[in-house]
Amino acid sequence: MLFQGLVGLSEAMYLWLVAAGLSLIFGVLRVLNFAHGSLYMLGAYFAWVAFRITGSFWAALLIGPLLVAAVGWGMEYGFLRRVYRVEVAFQLLLTFAFVLIFDDLVKLAFGPVYQSPPTPAALSGAVRIGRSILPTYHLFILAVGAAVGLGLWIFLEKTGFGLIIRATAADREMARALGVRSSRLFTWVFVLGAWLAGLGGALSMPVRAISPGMGEFIIIEAFVVVVLGGLGSLRGAFVGALLIGLLHAYGLVFMPVFELALAYIAMAAVLIVRPWGLFGAREA
Amino acid sequence: MAPRRGISRRNFLQSSLALAGASALGAPDALGAPDLKLKKPIKVGCQCILSGPLGGYGEFMRKGATLAMEEINAAGGIGGSPIELNFRDEELKPDVGVKNARYFVQDWGADFLIGIDSSGVALAVGEIMPTLNRVLIVTHGATEKYNEDLVYKKHIRQCFRVCVPVYQDGIASALVAKDLPVKRWATISPDYEYGHTSWKMFRAYLKQNKPDVEFVGESFAKFGTVDFSSHISKVMALNPEGIFSTEWGGEAVTMIKQAKLFKVFEQTKAFMIGMGSAMDVLQGLGPDYPDGVWASGRYYFGYPDTPENKRFNDSFKKRWDTYPSYPSETSYTALNALKKAVEKARTLDTDKVIEALEGLELSRPAGPCVIRKEDHQAVYAVPWGQITHDKKYPMPTLTNLKIFKTEEYYRKPPFAPVEG
Repeated sequence: MLFQGLVGLSEAMYLWLVAAGLSLIFGVLRVLNFAHGSLYMLGAYFAWVAFRITGSFWAALLIGPLLVAAVGWGMEYGFLRRVYRVEVAFQLLLTFAFVLIFDDLVKLAFGPVYQSPPTPAALSGAVRIGRSILPTYHLFILAVGAAVGLGLWIFLEKTGFGLIIRATAADREMARALGVRSSRLFTWVFVLGAWLAGLGGALSMPVRAISPGMGEFIIIEAFVVVVLGGLGSLRGAFVGALLIGLLHAYGLVFMPVFELALAYIAMAAVLIVRPWGLFGAREA
Repeated sequence: MAPRRGISRRNFLQSSLALAGASALGAPDALGAPDLKLKKPIKVGCQCILSGPLGGYGEFMRKGATLAMEEINAAGGIGGSPIELNFRDEELKPDVGVKNARYFVQDWGADFLIGIDSSGVALAVGEIMPTLNRVLIVTHGATEKYNEDLVYKKHIRQCFRVCVPVYQDGIASALVAKDLPVKRWATISPDYEYGHTSWKMFRAYLKQNKPDVEFVGESFAKFGTVDFSSHISKVMALNPEGIFSTEWGGEAVTMIKQAKLFKVFEQTKAFMIGMGSAMDVLQGLGPDYPDGVWASGRYYFGYPDTPENKRFNDSFKKRWDTYPSYPSETSYTALNALKKAVEKARTLDTDKVIEALEGLELSRPAGPCVIRKEDHQAVYAVPWGQITHDKKYPMPTLTNLKIFKTEEYYRKPPFAPVEG
């Protein structure tokens, strides 16, 4: 039974990567990026193209997310920065437009058919845990998710740049008054968030069939995670993603008819008790 | 035969053809379409899934229907009128399907409707066909409730279907499974009409044929499942000897890849997947498709070995640079069935076309076929087989084909309830 939870956690890692970027961007830029699922999809497609050209999964894992980061730079520099001062509804409209545009571009470029390159040989083994078998790839995903979590924590807590990000997230006006060039900072935070989503997508490429529209399924769950954990809180996103993964895995076993609703019930419960989320900052 | 005589014979044929055309008799003529003076063009609305992880299906359906339209139009159309096709995305949502059907008939002026991938959409659209009063030929949605309930019990005469229903997934599969060395079965299947009804039939018919089987577990995955890991670990914890699945499209690709990572194929004796021989799954998995998996579809490009099937495969490959998948064959057949029925009825009148379709015999790529009068269901045989990797083909193919007589596995009126 513990094993089922472990599998759920490994599934949660993709969600964590997407939710981390989403939450980071919201925390600093105060923009809810609807297109974050599309960046996950682009990560998978770019990695797939890189895999076809280089023949190496590892090169694809490096190149795919970097290309998504570049797309993120274009999105922020070219579009999003023009709407920071307008109503939230317009920001949502803009990012939603990106969802539709990216989906159609992918369909134009790759066709509506799903693609799925082979799982890298080094990661297609499995380890025996008791009577159960856990794929090496799932262990790898767990390791990557944990490493990214640790890396982000070190980056935000222990580096100067991280300090500026935290300061801006906490009080944008004060940070600006102290000389933080927030426009450049916003760009880099968005690029980092996009890279995280791209990494999630690239990691999913060899084990999940990739197709246009694949981002729409993950973005809804990522929103649930971010609301559950607290908007703008990375720790919240991490815990939220793990919680959703566990609820899903155990829900399937203990209440399969009800499993779909569990994540939303958890979200509703948290919103009633702590409207600012598990780890979110309470609005003044 | 002397060449001169040959030439004169051809001249004779040409002149008689011209004569037939000039006199506009409109008699059915094997050499060209008769001119029935029907409205031009004849509009056919086709809806299928064109987006998301199952969007590959709609794409193959679009290709099959388009090829049929091009061939029919090049040969003079239906009774002299060309076909015009229009495609819409059903999104696998019943309300969208109903909206599409209404749009096609009421706004666009469709004379016929074809397509539909989802069972739920097929049932919803089927229900409104009496008000729209057009012939609907379903080419993929496979629930038995469509032919057994809507047509046979509720007498909705406008509804037809040219693809084999879940009898293929739930009953023919049981005929394969009864001879396999597996007693403990479990399923990972879609959490909607198609998945549930197939698993129910499989259990009922396998139990009849092999009373000592056990069904040890089931995990139903919602539409849009991107990761099957939890489903696989849940089911494998119950120690099944065989896995039965009706996942399809991109979800089948993901499930099989992940099952492979979990070493399911080493730990079980058999793995059956109803729509596993669909071209998008064969191509999507490619070298990752494990040998020996039992797979079927609603048509398999390699069966039967007939001139019709060879010709269909050749022209499909020439037109689209890929082998046909089953929705390609069924949509291709839908248009050809309409042509045959309209030319028999000599009118587009819905009632007359329905009469012409009832009992119609077709020599389709999938083999000889008859559209049953009682439930408007096309009856033809589709093989089950085992996945193999044959260097002659760019994708995995089937070997060890099991072909059952249609009488053995098509449920018949009055359609007794499925026990179990």
